[in-house]
Amino acid sequence: MTGVPAELRSRIQAEFAVVRPLPSPWARALWCAPFAALALLAAPAFFNVRTDAGQLGWLGGWGASFLQVALGFVLIAAALRESVPGRSWSAGAIGLWLVIPTALTMAVTLASWEASPVMLRRGWWTVWLVCISGSAATALPVVALAGVLVARAYPTRPAIAGLLLGIGAGVMADAGWRMFCHFSEPAHVLSAHLGGVAVAAIAGWRLAITLGKPFR
Amino acid sequence: MADDTQLRELMRAYQSGRFEAFDDLYAAIAPVLRRYLLSHVRDAAKADDLVQETFLQLHRARHTYDPAYPVMPWAMAIARHVQLMDRRTLSRRPWAPDDVTEMDLPVRGEAASYAERSDVRRALGHVAPSRRAAVIQHHVLGLSFKEIAARTGIAETAAKLRSSRGMSQLRALLKGHGTK
Repeated sequence: MTGVPAELRSRIQAEFAVVRPLPSPWARALWCAPFAALALLAAPAFFNVRTDAGQLGWLGGWGASFLQVALGFVLIAAALRESVPGRSWSAGAIGLWLVIPTALTMAVTLASWEASPVMLRRGWWTVWLVCISGSAATALPVVALAGVLVARAYPTRPAIAGLLLGIGAGVMADAGWRMFCHFSEPAHVLSAHLGGVAVAAIAGWRLAITLGKPFR
Repeated sequence: MADDTQLRELMRAYQSGRFEAFDDLYAAIAPVLRRYLLSHVRDAAKADDLVQETFLQLHRARHTYDPAYPVMPWAMAIARHVQLMDRRTLSRRPWAPDDVTEMDLPVRGEAASYAERSDVRRALGHVAPSRRAAVIQHHVLGLSFKEIAARTGIAETAAKLRSSRGMSQLRALLKGHGTK
C-alpha cells in the first residue's frame, strides 16, 4: 500500500486548498475574553454590586471572582485542546477538570459565608429561580462562542469538549452573579449558583454534540 | 515509515498547499494506519475502506495539526475515531445485507445480458460487507449517496468510494465467473 487510490486522490484534489494551522488552545480561549468580561460585569453593572461587598473585602469579593474567571479560561482552553485529535485528556485529567471548579466554587462559597453570613428566609424559590436562570443565561454567549471554536477543530469526543467548555462558561458567569447576589447561605449558593454552572455544562455538551456532528 | 521530523515537514508542506506532500504522507503512514485498523476490524477489505475514510477525514482536519507536535498521535486519533464511528454505525444500522443469496434483486433487463440473477447474488456475497451495503443501497434501492451517508453515518464521499469500489469488485468477480 504505497500509491494513493485514484478515487481518493480525486476527492482530495477537489477539496485541496492551503490551510492555516489552528492557533494554540490558549490563544483561541482568549477570543472568549470579551464575552467573559460581559459575564463578569453584566449582573453587578445591570443590577448592583452586592450590598455586603465591603464586608467581603476586595480579595473576598472581586478577587475571588477574578480567580473564577481565570479558572473558566483554563477550562475553555482544556476544551479546545480536547477538540484537537491526539491531544485528548486522560480520564484522570477529566476527573480533575470536574473536581477543581466544584472545589473552588465550594471554597469561595464557604469563605463568603464565613466573612458575611446572609440567610435567605422569604421567597427562597423566587431567588433560587432568578439566580439559576440568570447565571445560566449569562453563561450562554460564552458557551455559544466556545462551542463554535470547538467545532472548528475536530472534536473526536464532542461530549467531553462540550462539558468542559460549558463548565468553564458557567464558572465565569457565576463569578459575575456572585458579585450581585448577596445571599451567602451555602444551601442557596451550592444549589442555585452551582445549578447555573450545571445548566451551562449541559448546554455546552448539547451544543458541541450538535456542531461536532459533521465529524461523526 | 519516515521518521517524525520528515513527517512534520510533510504535514507542513501539505498544509501550505503542496499536493505532492499528500502522496508522500500517504506512502509513509497508510501502512501503519492499515495495520492498526486491521487489528481492530480483522477484514482486509474493510480495513482498506477505513484507511480511505481516515485519509479523507485527515484531509478535512489538516488545519488542526500543530507542527510543534508529532504527526502519528494525531493521525492515529483520527483513525481510531473513524473506526469507532464505523463500529457505532454498524451497531445502529437497521439492516446489514450479509446474506444476499435470499434477496430479491431487481436485476434490470439490460443487466440480465451481463449476468444471471443468481450469479449477481453469488458475486455480491463475496463483496466486502461495507461495500456491498453501499452498492445495494445505491444501485438496488436507489438511494442517493447523500441518503446513504445520512443512514450509515459516514461522509458522502466515503459512500461514493464504497459504492464505486464495490462495483469494481463485483465486475471483477462476474468476469472471473465468465458470465460477462
